[in-house]
Amino acid sequence: MKLLKNNSLSLNQLDGNTARLLTMFVAIFLVASLTKPDMFLSSGNFQSMSKQLVEYGLLSLGVGIAMISGGIDLSVVYIANLSAIVTGMVMKALVLTAVGPELLLFILIAVLAGVLTGFLCGAFNGFLISKLHIPAMLATLGTMQLYMGIAIIISGGSTVSGIPRVFSQLISNSYLFGIPLSFFIYLFVVGFIIFIMSKTKFGMRVFLIGTNARAAAFSGIKINNVLIKTYILSGLLASLAGILSLARLSSAKADFGSSYIMQTILIVVLGGINPNGGYGTIRGIFLATITVQVISSFLNMFPEISNYYRDLIWGVAVIGVLIVNFSANKKTTAKLAKATAN
Amino acid sequence: MNSLTTKKLKKSLVSTEFFVLVLIVLLAVFIEMQSGLFFTNNNLVDLLRSMIVPSIFALCAYLGFISTGPDVSFPLIAALSSYIATQFVVITGFQGSIAIVFLVAIAVGLVLGSINGFIIAKYNFPSLIVTLGTSTIFSGILLGAFEASRMELPATMADFGRQSLLAVTNAKAGIGSSLPMTFLIFVGLYIIVYFVLNHTMAGRGVFAVGGDETSAERAGFNVKLIRFGVFTVSGAIAAIAGVCYTVESLYYLPTEFAGEEMIVIAAVILGGTRLMGGVGTLKGTILGTLLITIVTNSLILVGIPVYWQKFFIGAIIIIGTAISVIQSHNLFKSKKSKDSKGLQNSEVVINETAQKQ
Amino acid sequence: MSENILSVKGVHKSFGGVHALKGVDLTIKKGEVHCLAGENGCGKSTIIKVISGVHKPDSGEVELNGKKYTSITPSEAIEAGVQIIYQDFSVFPNLTVMENLAINKALASKKKFINKKEFRRIAEEAVNKINFKVDLDALVEDLPVADKQLIAISRALLADAKLIIMDEPTTTLTKTEVKRLFEIIEDLKEQGVTILFVSHKLDEVYEICDSITIFRNGENVLSCQVSEMDDEKFAYYMTGRKFDSQNIKQNAKAGDSILEVKNLSAPGFDNVNFNLRKGEVLGISGQLGSGRTELSLALFGLLKPYEGSIVVDGKEVNITSPAKAQELGIALVPEDRLTEGLFLSQSIKRNINVTKLDELSSKLGVMNITALTDESKGWVKNIGVKTKDHEYPVQTLSGGNQQKVVLARWLATNPNVLILNAPTVGVDIGAKHDIHTLLRNLANEGRGIIVVSDDVKELVDVCDRVMVMQQGKIINEIASGDLNADMLSQYI
Repeated sequence: MKLLKNNSLSLNQLDGNTARLLTMFVAIFLVASLTKPDMFLSSGNFQSMSKQLVEYGLLSLGVGIAMISGGIDLSVVYIANLSAIVTGMVMKALVLTAVGPELLLFILIAVLAGVLTGFLCGAFNGFLISKLHIPAMLATLGTMQLYMGIAIIISGGSTVSGIPRVFSQLISNSYLFGIPLSFFIYLFVVGFIIFIMSKTKFGMRVFLIGTNARAAAFSGIKINNVLIKTYILSGLLASLAGILSLARLSSAKADFGSSYIMQTILIVVLGGINPNGGYGTIRGIFLATITVQVISSFLNMFPEISNYYRDLIWGVAVIGVLIVNFSANKKTTAKLAKATAN
Repeated sequence: MNSLTTKKLKKSLVSTEFFVLVLIVLLAVFIEMQSGLFFTNNNLVDLLRSMIVPSIFALCAYLGFISTGPDVSFPLIAALSSYIATQFVVITGFQGSIAIVFLVAIAVGLVLGSINGFIIAKYNFPSLIVTLGTSTIFSGILLGAFEASRMELPATMADFGRQSLLAVTNAKAGIGSSLPMTFLIFVGLYIIVYFVLNHTMAGRGVFAVGGDETSAERAGFNVKLIRFGVFTVSGAIAAIAGVCYTVESLYYLPTEFAGEEMIVIAAVILGGTRLMGGVGTLKGTILGTLLITIVTNSLILVGIPVYWQKFFIGAIIIIGTAISVIQSHNLFKSKKSKDSKGLQNSEVVINETAQKQ
Repeated sequence: MSENILSVKGVHKSFGGVHALKGVDLTIKKGEVHCLAGENGCGKSTIIKVISGVHKPDSGEVELNGKKYTSITPSEAIEAGVQIIYQDFSVFPNLTVMENLAINKALASKKKFINKKEFRRIAEEAVNKINFKVDLDALVEDLPVADKQLIAISRALLADAKLIIMDEPTTTLTKTEVKRLFEIIEDLKEQGVTILFVSHKLDEVYEICDSITIFRNGENVLSCQVSEMDDEKFAYYMTGRKFDSQNIKQNAKAGDSILEVKNLSAPGFDNVNFNLRKGEVLGISGQLGSGRTELSLALFGLLKPYEGSIVVDGKEVNITSPAKAQELGIALVPEDRLTEGLFLSQSIKRNINVTKLDELSSKLGVMNITALTDESKGWVKNIGVKTKDHEYPVQTLSGGNQQKVVLARWLATNPNVLILNAPTVGVDIGAKHDIHTLLRNLANEGRGIIVVSDDVKELVDVCDRVMVMQQGKIINEIASGDLNADMLSQYI
C-alpha cells in the first residue's frame, strides 16, 4: 500500500524540484525586472519584500517540518497570534514606567514569555499527536481553535496595542546594509533549520518517522520524543513569527492572519515537501517563500489587478507543481527500475 | 444468538455516535439547569435554524472523508456558485421560481466540484492539498475576477428567505424565532444522500473505494469515476448550501464562507467519521453538527461570554477525538491480538493512519 | 485437448526494460490441484495477471476451456471461470460479510439498486457452498484472517469459478486454519473446480497438490507430477543452485547464560521461562497466535510484561523501549519486513544507519556523515547486499536483499542477543541459505540467537534447540539430538 502511494524515490527527485523552483524564481524575477524596472528593482521594494515574507516564511518552516514527519500543523498562525499577544501584554505590563537598560531587560523578558508560549503550544500539539495518537490534522485543527480561544480570552477579544516604541524600532526598523534586521533573523533561522534537518540525527529521524512510523519504532527511534520535539520546533518558529509581527504592526490580535494557514501549506507543497511525509528540503521551502513574495510584490505593482488574483495564481501554482513533480517522479521511478533490473 | 445480540448492544453503546449523543444531552441539561432557557421553543427553533447550513456543508465533508480524505473547498464552492446564481437573477431580472436559482448554482457547483474530482481521481494527490489549492483559486476568481462584494438580494431570493416554515414566540421572553424554508432542503438532501449511499450500488461503491481501493478496483468498481463523482456531487451540495446561506442572511456576503470548513470538519469527525475513509454515518454527522451548533449557539445562555466560544470548540474537538482515538485503539488491541499484531506499547501504535491527513 | 482447463503457450511480457516472462508455458488439467512455485520475481505474479486479464502479454497465447485468446480481458477471464484469491483477500474491511459476499455478483449483473433480501440470499448461498459458519452482519474488519480468506473463496465460487488461483494462501493462517483450507480445497476438487495453488512451501505442495510447475527468472524450468518431486530437486529447480543444508550447523559450544527469562507474562503469553546461552541458536515456534511474536516483542521493549523478569548478562533489567533494548545489546529483526522493518522509499544507507545515529553523532546531535557512510558501505559489502549504490532506495532491492539490510542495521549495533522473527519469509532460497549461514557464524562468535519461526525446515537446519508455544505457553522443548522435521511438525 505504502509503496503504491509513495510514488517518490529519493534519488534526484528533490533536486529536480529545487531546480524547477529556481528556474521559476529567476524567470519571474527577470520578468519583473524587465517590465517594472524602476519599481521592482528599487531598494525600497527589496526592503519591503524582505520584511513581508519573514512572518509567513517562518510559519512555513514549522508547517514543513511537521509535514516531513508525516503530520501537519494547522495551528501555527494562532500560536503566532497567542505568542504575540502574550509578549505584547507582558511588555505593556512591565515596560510602561521603565527606562533605559531596564526597559531592554523587560522587553527581553516579554519576548521570552512569547517564546515560552510557542514552546508550550507546540509541546501540547506534540503531546496530543504522539502520546494520545490523535491524527495531526485533527489535533492541530482542535488546538487552532483552542489557541485562538485562549488568545481571545486573555486579550478580551480586542487588539493589543500600545507596545513600546523602542521594540518596534529595534526589530522592525533597524537595517543592516539596507536590509531589515528581521530578514537577517529569518535567514539565520533558515540556515539553522537546514542544519538541523540535514546534519543532525534529530532531522534524520524526522524524515524516517515520516516515511514509516512503525518501522521507526521497531528501529529504536523514540517516536514520541521526536514528534514532540518536531511540534515544539514548529511552535517556536510560530512564536518567533508572532513576535516579529508584533514588532512590525505594533499590535496583535487573536484572529490576525487567518489566511496565512492556507498560504503556508501552499508554500510548503510548492517547496516540494511530500504531503505524505518523509520527503522535502528546507531550502525548497525557502525558495518557495521568496518566489511567492516576488510574485505578490510584482502583482502589487499593477494597481488594476486585484490582490485577490494572487490567490488564483498560488492555487494554480500549487496544483501545477504537484502535477509536474508527479510526472517527473514517474520518469525517475522508471529509470531506476531499469537501472536496478540490469 | 443471545451473546450476539448483547455484543451488538455493547457495540452500539461504545459507538462514537452514542458518546456524542450523551455529550449533547449532558450539555443540554446543564444549560437548562443553569439558565432554564435551553428547552424553550424559540431556542430549539434557533438551534435548528443554525444547523441548516453547517449540516449541508457537513455532507460535503462527510462524502470527502468516506471516499477519499479531507475536502476543504466546499465553503468557496458555495460562495462562488451562490454568487453566480445571485448575479444571474440580478442581471437577467429573473422573476421565476427559486428552484431555477438553485439549479443555476448547482450547475456551477457541479463544474467546480468536477475540477476537484478530476485532479484527485486522475493523480491520486492528497485531497487536502488539492482542495486547498482549488479553494484559493475559487477565492481568487470570486474576489479577484468578479470583485464580489456584499450585495442586497433581488426580490425573488429575498422573498424565499423571508418565508418561514414554522414561527414560534417565547411568551415569557417575548422573543420570536422562525424556521426558514431551507430547512426542508436540508432534510431532503439528507434523505437523498442516505438513500443513495445505502441503497444503490454507486453508494456502496463510495464506501468500498474508501474501505479498500485495490479491492474495489478488482471487484469491478470504477474507482476513479466514483471519486470523480463524489467530488462533483459534493460541489453541487456545497452550491445548495451556498444559496441557502445567502437567502437566509438576506444578503450575499462573499467573505462569510471561508473558515467554515474547519468547524464543519471538526463536527463530522466528532460524529465518528474516520479520517482514513470508508467509515462514518449520517446520524453521526448530524449529531456532531448539533453538538458544535449547541456550543456556538447556546453557551451564551449560561452566561459564558462569547469570547470563550472558540476555546470550548477547540476543547471539544480535542477531547472528542481523543476519546474516539483511544476507543479505537482499545478495539485495535483486543481485536488484533489474535493475529499477533496487538502491540501495546504506545510508541508502535502510531500507525500511518494516525498521521495520515 | 479439452482435458486441460488452462494452457499457456510461449507467453512473453516485458515492463519497461524488465523481461518478466520469457516465453513461458503452463498447462493445468481439469479438476487437479496444480502448484506454481518459484522465488520472488520469477514471474509467478505476472503470469497470474496475464491469465486474469490484468496484463496483456506481448506475445504468446492463453487457452482457457478450449478457447484461444491472444490477450484476454478481465471480464472475459471471469466469464471463463477464472477467479483469484489474492494474498490480501481483496475484501472490504468496512463493509459487512453479507455485502462483501454479494457485492461482486451485484456488480457483475449491473444492478443499480440494492436489495437487502437478495443480498442475504446470495450471501447465504455463498457460505453454504463451503459450509462456512459466520455472522453475515458482522463487519469484516472484526473477523480473523482465516475468515476473510473463506469470504474470498466463497465469493469466488459465487461467480461460477472453474479455475481458482490461490496466491500464497497459507502465509497468514494458523495450522488448524490451513487444515480447514485444505479440506475445502479437497471439497472443491470433488465439485470439479480446478485450483492453481501458488506456494513455495514444499510440505504443503506434497500434501495438497497433484502436479507442479516451477518458474525461474521468467521461464518455466520444470513441470511434473508432485509424486516425482523431492526436496533437493525442488531447491535445485527453484534456485538453479545446489545446497547442502546439513553442513550449516557446526557443533558449537554453548557458553554462559546471556539472557534469562523467568515467569514472564504479557498480553499474548503466560509464564514463560527459558535460558539463552552464548553461542546458542534457540528456536521458538508455534502457530500463528501462539504468543511467539508477542514474546519477541516483549524482549524488545515493545510489549509491556505484567509480571516476571528478564535477566541480561546476570543483571535483572526492565526493557521499556526498543532504544533500551538496543542499549542492553538486544536486537530484533521484525516479522513484517515491509511495514515494520524498512523505510522503503529511503536509501539503503539511511535504512542501515538508523540504529547508529546516537553512536555516530556528536554530543549536540550532529551526525558524523563520513563515519555513517563508511558504516553503511561496509555493511553492504560485508553482508552481501546486491546493489549498485547504497544511496538507492531500499525498495529497489529483492526480498532477500531487503532482509539483509534489516539484518545489517541490527548487526551494526553489535548485539549480544539477536532475535529474528520469521527471518526468511519471502526470501528466496539462495538468500535464505546465506542468512542461515550468517546466523550460525554469529552464534559461533558467542552471541545468543533466537529464531522465531514456523518454518520447520528452517528450525531444524539452524537451531540448537527449539521451544514450541501453544496458546501463550511453552508446551515443549526439543533439544538438539532429538530435533528433526517430523517430530517438530507434530508439536506445532
